[in-house]
Amino acid sequence: MKPDSTDIPAVDPALSDLENVPGFPGSRADEFPEGASEFTDEVSRRRFLALMGASAALATGVGCNLRPASQRKIVPYTTQPDEITPGVPLFFATAANLGGYGSGVLVRSHEGRPVKVEGNIDHPSSLGGASIHSLASILDIYDPDRSATCTRRGEPVTYESAIAELRKQLYNTPEDPKKNLRLRIVTETVTSPTLSSQIQKLLNLFPNARWVQFDLAGRDNVLEGTRLASGNRHNISYDFTKADVVLSIDSDFLCIGPGHVRYARDFASRRKVRQNSKDGGPADEMNRLYVVECMPTNTGAIADHRLPMLTGLMELFVRELAVTLGIQVTSWANQPQLGSANEWIKPLADDLKAKAGKSIVVAGDHLPPVIHAIVFAINDKLGNFGQTVHLSAPIEARPEGKVTDLKTLTTEMASKSVDALIILGGANPAYSAPADVPFAENIKNVPFTFHLGQHQDETGVLCEWHVPEAHFLEAWGDIRAHDGTATIQQPLIAPLHGGKSAIEVLAAVMSEPVREGLEIVRAFWQNTDEVKKLFPSFEKPATFEIFWQESVRKGVVTRTTPAVKDAKDDKDEKKKDEKKDEKKNEKSLLAPNWTTDLKATLRGELAANEYEVNFRLDPALYDGRFANNGWLQELPKPLTKISWDNAAFVSPKTAREKFAAKTDYSWTAGEHGRAAVNVLELRVNIGGTDRIIKAPIWILPGHADGAVTIHLGGGRTRAGRVAHTPDEPNAEGKPYRGFNAYAIRSSDEPWFTRNVKAVKIGGAALGSGQQYFLACTQGYWQMAEKDPLTGKLLDRAPVRRATLAEFQKVPEFAKIPPAAVGETDLINENVPHPVKHGEPVPSAHKKDDHKHDHGHNGNGHGHDKRLHPLNMYNPAEGLVPDLPDGQRRRWAMAIDLTACTGCSACVIACQGENNIPVVGKTQVTKAREMYWISIDRYYDFQNGLPPEEQEAEAIKTYFQPRMCVQCENAPCEVVCPVGATVHSADGLNDMTYNRCVGTRYCSNNCPYKVRRFNFLTYQDWHTETYKLGRNPDVSVRSRGVMEKCTFCVQRIRGAEIVAEREFRPIRDGEILTACQSACPSNAIIFGDINDPDAGVSRWKNEPTNYGLLAELNTRPRLTHMAVLKNPNPAMPKPK
Amino acid sequence: MPQIFPKAINPIAKMLVLGFPLLAGLTGVTGAAFYRSSYATGVDETPPQPVAFSHAHHVGQLGIHCVYCHTSVETSGFANVPPTKTCMNCHQQIWQGADLLEPVRESYKTDKPIEWNRVHNLPHYAYFNHSIHVNKGVGCVSCHGRLDQMNLTGQASTLLMEWCIACHREPEKHLRPKEEIFNMTWTPAQKTIDPKDGQPYPTNQKELGLLLKERYRVRDAVTLTNCSMCHR
Repeated sequence: MKPDSTDIPAVDPALSDLENVPGFPGSRADEFPEGASEFTDEVSRRRFLALMGASAALATGVGCNLRPASQRKIVPYTTQPDEITPGVPLFFATAANLGGYGSGVLVRSHEGRPVKVEGNIDHPSSLGGASIHSLASILDIYDPDRSATCTRRGEPVTYESAIAELRKQLYNTPEDPKKNLRLRIVTETVTSPTLSSQIQKLLNLFPNARWVQFDLAGRDNVLEGTRLASGNRHNISYDFTKADVVLSIDSDFLCIGPGHVRYARDFASRRKVRQNSKDGGPADEMNRLYVVECMPTNTGAIADHRLPMLTGLMELFVRELAVTLGIQVTSWANQPQLGSANEWIKPLADDLKAKAGKSIVVAGDHLPPVIHAIVFAINDKLGNFGQTVHLSAPIEARPEGKVTDLKTLTTEMASKSVDALIILGGANPAYSAPADVPFAENIKNVPFTFHLGQHQDETGVLCEWHVPEAHFLEAWGDIRAHDGTATIQQPLIAPLHGGKSAIEVLAAVMSEPVREGLEIVRAFWQNTDEVKKLFPSFEKPATFEIFWQESVRKGVVTRTTPAVKDAKDDKDEKKKDEKKDEKKNEKSLLAPNWTTDLKATLRGELAANEYEVNFRLDPALYDGRFANNGWLQELPKPLTKISWDNAAFVSPKTAREKFAAKTDYSWTAGEHGRAAVNVLELRVNIGGTDRIIKAPIWILPGHADGAVTIHLGGGRTRAGRVAHTPDEPNAEGKPYRGFNAYAIRSSDEPWFTRNVKAVKIGGAALGSGQQYFLACTQGYWQMAEKDPLTGKLLDRAPVRRATLAEFQKVPEFAKIPPAAVGETDLINENVPHPVKHGEPVPSAHKKDDHKHDHGHNGNGHGHDKRLHPLNMYNPAEGLVPDLPDGQRRRWAMAIDLTACTGCSACVIACQGENNIPVVGKTQVTKAREMYWISIDRYYDFQNGLPPEEQEAEAIKTYFQPRMCVQCENAPCEVVCPVGATVHSADGLNDMTYNRCVGTRYCSNNCPYKVRRFNFLTYQDWHTETYKLGRNPDVSVRSRGVMEKCTFCVQRIRGAEIVAEREFRPIRDGEILTACQSACPSNAIIFGDINDPDAGVSRWKNEPTNYGLLAELNTRPRLTHMAVLKNPNPAMPKPK
Repeated sequence: MPQIFPKAINPIAKMLVLGFPLLAGLTGVTGAAFYRSSYATGVDETPPQPVAFSHAHHVGQLGIHCVYCHTSVETSGFANVPPTKTCMNCHQQIWQGADLLEPVRESYKTDKPIEWNRVHNLPHYAYFNHSIHVNKGVGCVSCHGRLDQMNLTGQASTLLMEWCIACHREPEKHLRPKEEIFNMTWTPAQKTIDPKDGQPYPTNQKELGLLLKERYRVRDAVTLTNCSMCHR
């Protein structure tokens, strides 16, 4: 197999050359990367002394306690709460906040400690899935760097004195507010009904006060676009279950933004091609996705057609498309050329027209309002409103001004016309303000500044007063989902550091009678009139207490989903109001003359020496708020697979032609995971001054040529210990994680700019001087194998793929292993099959047959002498001859690669569930990362060219989650000298940590490369707060121990115990592994293949199901389902 | 070439050849003996407790049921140590002034839990679950010994892995009717009545064990000795 390739042709001309490339897997004799197996750190004098001291202590017996356990304590409750049974976890529904929008979650609590986040199946933004951010938010509550005390200029004070001082500033006497006070309240996007009503109350008390909203990732452009098109601001949500054709204009709707978890689930439900009628059956038509984007995203990767395009061309593209669809928008002024994209317009428009009413056009939140307005018109023209695209009243309390407000505020501060500034709820403008908005410099002009935040961050440290904020798992609150549904947020734990929520602070400031978070939220929802203003369909509950309990329990407040605006309703309204749009299309939602305000904002092709710089939210760190979250910092970013850094992404062609960059560094860092890269210097002119940043350059196939994309969120100066790196300075030489891209981002052009003065490789060429190294996990742990005779790499085709048409012609295409085509049947016999209906559960124990070489159905290979079982485990019987049916189980998993978006939610879910440590950047660059799931990214090798030589539009990306496949013939087991990894009767490949002595033979013998070794003590055993967050059902591993995916054996055994106690079999779906339950697109299924009706059995019976490396006779219990694409034959072929 | 060692070394070398395996064997035996010794396993040890609670008094003499205090034993992996409130249920009424109970009253007043010393110490990588054992016919006394005769609570079993495994290999040797789980003095010879048919159970442990193993669907020895049954 070759890296990043799934090419089917057996012989690839490009390959023979690649073997000599240093660092290319297969060109090395060692299985392990260099340095991975030895302790190469220099022994310092201090460390030497420490080691010697420790050994001396051990030798004298001082440090040695034979019976350490005997000092343990049992601490019971004094009064045990009714709902708690010690040892049995509880789940609570709440909602995680990101960008002001809530995503429903269920949080597991062990004796009062929140430990694991899962999706809430009742919540419209989740439907059971979860995003990496809500999953990782559990680590934030245990962040040891959270602020723990109220301070005034850094000196500790009490909360009461802080509030008293705040009141003194705001009021003359306790009842008399200072009417003329020029108060400014800074928040992020607010959808919380309670918080917005409180802010409104405060604004009413102080007529000169103003509410400044600052959220750089806000949805203002979308709302403004709807206003341009229809005259009113609308919230847009989509129903992908009904969409046959989807066009995304630079929108990563499957992986980022409000509601993306829901969208991924809905979208994937239309992508899974199934023969079994229970799963939809062949009648269920597969949808089709077109993506036009600049920076490759996960949505683009799973698209059927992907067109890389400069952001500056997108408006032109959208206008052309609109004109082709018959919408009268003014065409472009001086008609620049779209180039090859022109060929897209006609077939795309035809496809959209053919599916009118069953299509969706969606544009990225960051695109300018004009594009959103035209996209609105396209959806309107296609009759999608009310069908697949839903409009409702805006959900945000203030749907505008998220960047301009701050600009005005800064001007006011500069002219000293602000008296008091209150910053609430995590807004961090001192870090993330645009470069031309000198917020941090001007804050000193405000006489009174008050900050509420979880950290004393860049903004907090500039403020006079600071109060620690409660995490959302510590406080009561409410929040709205992407479609407007409200959730009551409930705390799982009392604030660890005495934090307060924004609503509590505001209540205290206004000296309201109720000051407790719970009481404030309850009071709001009890006031039916107030609630009805926001939620017209809300009805006064008969008994408030029942309504309240039910809302809190479920995590969703009923009757709060806003009515969806249909084209027809609107027409009626308009007819009533005014009769002037009679001439227009009957069902149109468009305002009359909507095109007059549309000013072209984007430009055309790049000039010869012009550059385009795009700014995007970091897929893991978002806008930088997760910078101190080790899980998200280390997470190999979806698609780019870079860990611990942000980078400047360019296409291979641009790197070659524009920067004459050397290509030693590229889309993969080889098996070391370490890539030495050049540093790119970007000089952008903002407001007359040149601003410079230095960013490591990363070549990403598929990126639009001529543009540079940089991720925001790096270079936090006051995030905490994770983001502070004196030993590993960033590309600018500063001791922070990543570089700060905000330094070249202006408020006028927040998402892309062409105002770039110069882009050049900073300093000397690669190899001397200006060099930086990035950690990238793609290229690790390759499943590579050389043919012993020819020396060529064998192509194992790990990701098998076809178009829908090809699949219909040869449904079983995925079952053909290219390395051994002639033995297809034999190999497929060797993939564990689910039991068929009517067939007895395999149990016959043939006393006379001790060779254990028969599969349970079809003994085809039983006579083949080449296939020898590698262990004592007989897969057909589960080792146990005569068990009652309910107890004879064969656990298995299937992963649908068509549905997988590579979003990495499973990786974070697994990390949280299984206490997987964070290892740090240096360790990642030694191929020592510990994630049990790695999501491999593969590129197509078309025309035999490696990715860096392909045209951007020809790049096809595939994802494959890879974890332990629980082989029935496990190669790891036979080589373990101490029996630390052995089989269980139900077919799990058990890993027994306490037996492991760390020989690593198992990992050497694992063809899937899924075993992870604790080379050092990676687990943080000392930080008190982290201890609270560990899952008590899973051992915390220490140094010298091998570990790997267990199929969440703690959940299996837990469910088994419950079922056995109740004398019943385990129900299908009763056990969800952590990855399965988190997966937004439902791509993972787990269960018992001895149950013919189980979901996993149905999936495994599909023709697309295949065993990864099954030709090695491993009998993998985890199988993958091939990728299917549904391309439009009328579309132009990529060059 | 001259000999490196003089001839006189020979007897010493012979003794070494003979002695080394002996020494190694002795070390092994000593090690194994130490590992199983009551010092290392803590068997029969009664750690001091903040309150001199006597199971002999409460269970043996007063006959209070195990589950009155250890409420979660049938539903959770962890058999809870009772909260202070449970003690106070009775001790608000009786022995209100006893000096012995001062820590209990103090805990109740100040809402600070009593910190008991753990008697049964399992390693952190072994996940024992009380509920499944109690529900499948393993009595308290089988592991915890005659608590009704213990003043301060002591450890009755070695808690070594071989001790666990011995029962997991042959559970029938230790199974008893579920009605008798909490009975400290039950033996198969008692002719307990089977509620199913009103007839007495077999009085032979082996016969009874096999019957109950079938009835309670206790799993086979292979499954019960899977590593992941206890180590996760």
